[in-house]
Amino acid sequence: CASAPMRTGPAVSEAAAEAAQQSREVALREDADWTLTGRIAVSNGRDGGSGRLEWRQAGERFEVGLSAPVTRQGWRLSGDAGQARLEGLDGGPRVGADASDLLRTATGWDIPVVALADWVRGARAGALGPATIHYDATGRPARIEQGGWTIDYRWPDAASEPLLPSRVDARRGEARVRLLVDSWGET
Amino acid sequence: VDVSAGARDDLNTFAKGLKGLDGRFTQQVFDPNGKLKETATGTVALSTPRLFRWQYAKPYPQTIVADGRTVWVYEPDLEQVTRRPQGVEEQNSPLAALIDPAKLDAQFNVQDAGSKDGLSWLALAPKKEGDSGFRSAKLGFGPTGLVRMHVVDALGQRTEIRFDNWRKNPKFKPATFQFKPPAGVDVIGG
Repeated sequence: CASAPMRTGPAVSEAAAEAAQQSREVALREDADWTLTGRIAVSNGRDGGSGRLEWRQAGERFEVGLSAPVTRQGWRLSGDAGQARLEGLDGGPRVGADASDLLRTATGWDIPVVALADWVRGARAGALGPATIHYDATGRPARIEQGGWTIDYRWPDAASEPLLPSRVDARRGEARVRLLVDSWGET
Repeated sequence: VDVSAGARDDLNTFAKGLKGLDGRFTQQVFDPNGKLKETATGTVALSTPRLFRWQYAKPYPQTIVADGRTVWVYEPDLEQVTRRPQGVEEQNSPLAALIDPAKLDAQFNVQDAGSKDGLSWLALAPKKEGDSGFRSAKLGFGPTGLVRMHVVDALGQRTEIRFDNWRKNPKFKPATFQFKPPAGVDVIGG
């Protein structure tokens, strides 16, 4: 990778890690129906918030639900790369072409929804151009840099099949998304 | 004797002379098809006029404190604190009206919903459609006072909260209704 390598001192060579990553990404694309429950904290230095997260992905279609503490009110954002619908907020459902724009305008929350669907599983985003990956000593992605975002990973201690992250922190300028996975599931 | 006034009487008895309250809660969240999605437990403390602390313990820690001006939401595992002006919180949570029944009528259309499961119930509906983020709520009263709060939100998700071990007018430490963000966490919001 071009930038100064992180202290990876890979027991696994760079080439081997890249090869493993590519095969992992092929497998992930083939198994494109998944769910996760966890918690998310979003901030852009001023606005944002946090809450309980449910994410259901079926190929390109996503359904992202957030519920706040106590009364669990929240919102649900569904759609695919080309259109999105946001429900649950005062003023009724909203629709738009871009899920992230729709969410940001309605709530001030900045979440790169389409790209995060790939990043959250430890893969490069399909439609965001070139990416740089730094691998940890065991050959898993420690950091992906893509589309101006820096995504840092934490992986479960015990080897789990399939190998999926336990925490993802994405940053771009002031925007920050911290996602803690409590459980992964099949749809 | 107006039998149907059961729940309303229970609310007034429960709230009479009530300045503060603390107890334990168990919260269950069901999706619109009734499937249980989450079970959480913790403690809750309330003090007139509008102070409260909602402390989740399980499945993971989370703290919500309303100090009279600001509502703080602290997620330790995500190292983030969100703060927002307290005004909004009042409309969203029937709980805030718990110790001030007059506020309940100010914010909600309150109707007696008869008795079920050995409790007497009050049904609450927001006065203005869509202004408080939930579709309907119900408060269930038993001999020890309020024991159930059910909320159905705009997405049809149902939250059922069971309260127990209520202590009336406990002696609160001042820090109970204060929140000071720990070092090293992001604090965001107005």
